[in-house]
Amino acid sequence: MNKKANNERSERRWRGVAVSEGIAVGRVLRIHSGGLPASVFRATLDDEGQITREVRRFRAAARLSRRQLRALKRRAEKALGVEHAYIFDAHILMLEDSKLLEDVETLIRRERANAEWAVKVVADRLLAVYAEIKDDYLRERSSDIEDVTRRLLFALSGEPYTRLVMRDAVIVAEELLPSAAAELDFEHVRAIASDAGGWTSHTAIIARGVGIPAVVGARDLFRHARTGDEIAVDAVSGEIVLHPSARTIERFHATAMKSGRRTRHGATDIQPAPLHTTDGIEIVLRANVELPAEFPDVRGYGARGIGLYRSEFLLTQRGVMPTEEEQRAAYLEVAGLAGVDGAKIRLFDLGGEKIGAGENDLERNPALGLRAIRFCLRRPDVLRSQARAVLRAAADGHLDIVLPMISDVAEVRRARRIIDEERARLEDEGLACGAVKIGAMIEVPSAVLMAEHLAREVDFFSLGTNDLVQYLLAVDRGNDGVAEWFRTLHPAVLHSIRRALMAAEAAAIPAIVCGEMAATPAYAAILVGLGARDLSMTASSIPRVRQALAKVSAAEVREIARECLDSDTADAAEEVVRIRLGERWPELFLPEFLPAPKREV
Amino acid sequence: MLERRVVVTNRLGLHARAAARLVRVASGFTSGIRLERIDGNAAADAKSILSVLLLAAARGTALRLTVAGADETEALTAVCELFEHGFGEDQE
Repeated sequence: MNKKANNERSERRWRGVAVSEGIAVGRVLRIHSGGLPASVFRATLDDEGQITREVRRFRAAARLSRRQLRALKRRAEKALGVEHAYIFDAHILMLEDSKLLEDVETLIRRERANAEWAVKVVADRLLAVYAEIKDDYLRERSSDIEDVTRRLLFALSGEPYTRLVMRDAVIVAEELLPSAAAELDFEHVRAIASDAGGWTSHTAIIARGVGIPAVVGARDLFRHARTGDEIAVDAVSGEIVLHPSARTIERFHATAMKSGRRTRHGATDIQPAPLHTTDGIEIVLRANVELPAEFPDVRGYGARGIGLYRSEFLLTQRGVMPTEEEQRAAYLEVAGLAGVDGAKIRLFDLGGEKIGAGENDLERNPALGLRAIRFCLRRPDVLRSQARAVLRAAADGHLDIVLPMISDVAEVRRARRIIDEERARLEDEGLACGAVKIGAMIEVPSAVLMAEHLAREVDFFSLGTNDLVQYLLAVDRGNDGVAEWFRTLHPAVLHSIRRALMAAEAAAIPAIVCGEMAATPAYAAILVGLGARDLSMTASSIPRVRQALAKVSAAEVREIARECLDSDTADAAEEVVRIRLGERWPELFLPEFLPAPKREV
Repeated sequence: MLERRVVVTNRLGLHARAAARLVRVASGFTSGIRLERIDGNAAADAKSILSVLLLAAARGTALRLTVAGADETEALTAVCELFEHGFGEDQE
C-alpha cells in the first residue's frame, strides 16, 4: 500500500446535529439530488449490426427503468400512501409512450447515433416544447421529463439510478428531499447523514418516524464520502467518522450496546397501561403522526391515541388539495387507529411553498408568512372542506381539531365560526357530524402572553415546542448555521411552557405538549416538572420516555425544573439538567442523552 | 367515429396525475382516441402521456374528443366520465 492510499483511508470526522437517535456502522450510499451521469457523448455507428444492437440496448434500458419505477411505486404506496405514488405512474407511462420510444429509435437509425445521444436529443426537443407552455403548473411537468431522461441515461450507463440499497447502507446526501426519501427502502438503511437540514427538517421528522438514526448539518460530508466507504454515525452525539479505524468501530459498538440501541422492529402491541410517576402522578403519552408508515407504531408502542396528526401530509408534493371525501377517508383511518383516546387533527400547517403554483409569490420569510391558520382564513374554501371532513369522520370516531400558529384570539373566533357554519350546513344536508373539540397550538410568543385569554376560547391547548423555540428565540430551525442558538432548554422557553400550562390549568382545559422535546427522556422529565401531564411524541420514542418517567418523582423533577426556570442562561439551565438529573437517576439518564457539558468556544 | 366536447374542470388542469389517469383509461380500449384544443393550438393522442401533457390544458380549457374504432361507444363514455368528475380531484 503506498503512502497516498494509506492517507486516504485515515479517519475523517464531522459533527452535525443528531436528529434521530441511534448508532450505526455501515457503508456509504451517496444519493444525488440531481445531475446526469457523466457527459452525454455522440458516437457514430458503423453498420446495421451496431444499429440493431443500439436499439436493443435502448429497449433494455427502458425496460429496466420501468421495472425500477414499478418497484418504487409499490414501495411509495406502502410507505407514503397511494396519493403520493401517482407521480411514479406518470413516469412509467412516459417510458411506455410510443412518442418517446419511437422518436429515440428513429433517431438512432436515421442518424446512426448512440442511444444516450438520441435520448438526450429527444428529451431536449420535448423540453423545448414544454418551455412554451403558459401555465406555470403544467410547465413544471418538464421536471418529470428530466427525471425520466436521467433515469434512462443511468440505465444506459449501467449505473443504478435508484440505488439498490445495500444491506448496511448509510445514506449520505447533500439534502434528503422527501421525493428521494420515497425511493429508499428503509428496511435496509442503517442511518442517514446529510450536509444540510436541522432538527425539524422534513428529513429529520421522516427519519424519526421510521426510526432510523440520522445526523444532519454535516456541511461537506457529501463531497468527501464515496459510495462503499465505511462510515460510523453516532446520532446521539452527532459524530460522524468516515473510514473509521477498528478501534473507533469498537467504541461505537460499545456505546450502542450501553445505550441499548433501539431496535426498529421491537414494537409489539403494548397495552397502554396507565403511567404513573413514583409519587403517583398520572402521565399520558400520545403519538405524533404524519406518515402512514408510522401508523402501526401507534398501537405497537402503546400510545394513548394520537396527540398530533399533521394533516398537511395529505397534500401531494405538488400541492394538490385532497377532496373532502379523500380527507374524510384519511381521518376515519386515523380515528380507527387512535381508538377511544381519539386523535387531534391539526389543520393544514402549510404556507405558500406547498400550494399550487401561481397562488403565492415566493415569500421572503415563509416562517413568518401566509401559513397555517392565516392560510386557512385566507382560503376559507380549504378550511371549510377540511372542517367538513373532520366533522363527518368524527361521527364514527373520536376526533378533535387543532388550529395551528394562533397569534390572536380573533383567529380562534373566526375559525370557530366557520367550523360552526359547516356543522350547521352538514346537519341541514342530513349528514352525521361528531362532537369535535377545538384546540389552539401554542407556538407563537403572542399566544403565550395571551394564554389566559386563549384558554377561555378553546377546549384544549397543544404546545408546539419546535416552533415555540424558533419564534421565541428568533432562530430558523432549518438553518444549521444557527443550530447552536436553537436552545430548547432556554429559560425563556421553559417560562413560556410553564405559563401556557398554568393558563390551561386555571381554565380547567387539557394541555398537550406535542413538540419533539417530549421525545427525549430528560426533556420529558423537565416538562413533567413544569407541570405537563400529557405528552405527545414520535411513537417509537414512547417506550424510552415511559421507562424514564415511571421511575422519577414528579415532586423531585419539579424542584429541578424550578432551578432551570431560575437559571439566567440556556447554558446554566442545561447544566442543571445534566448534573441534577444525571446524578439523581444515573441509570435513567445516561450522559450521552443529556445536554453535553459546555466547552468554551 | 364519435365526437364530443369536453371541458377540464379540476383546479390543476391536465397535470401529471390527471393525465396519467386519462392515459391509463384510454389505453384500455382498442379505439383510437384523440383530443384537440377547440382553439386549434394542439392535438393529442390520448394514449400518449407526453402528448396529453403538451395540450397544456389548464382548468377551463375546452377540448374536442374524437373516438373511432370497435369499442368507440364505451371508450367515449369512459373518457367523458373522467372529465365530468374532474379526474376525481379538487374542482374548487
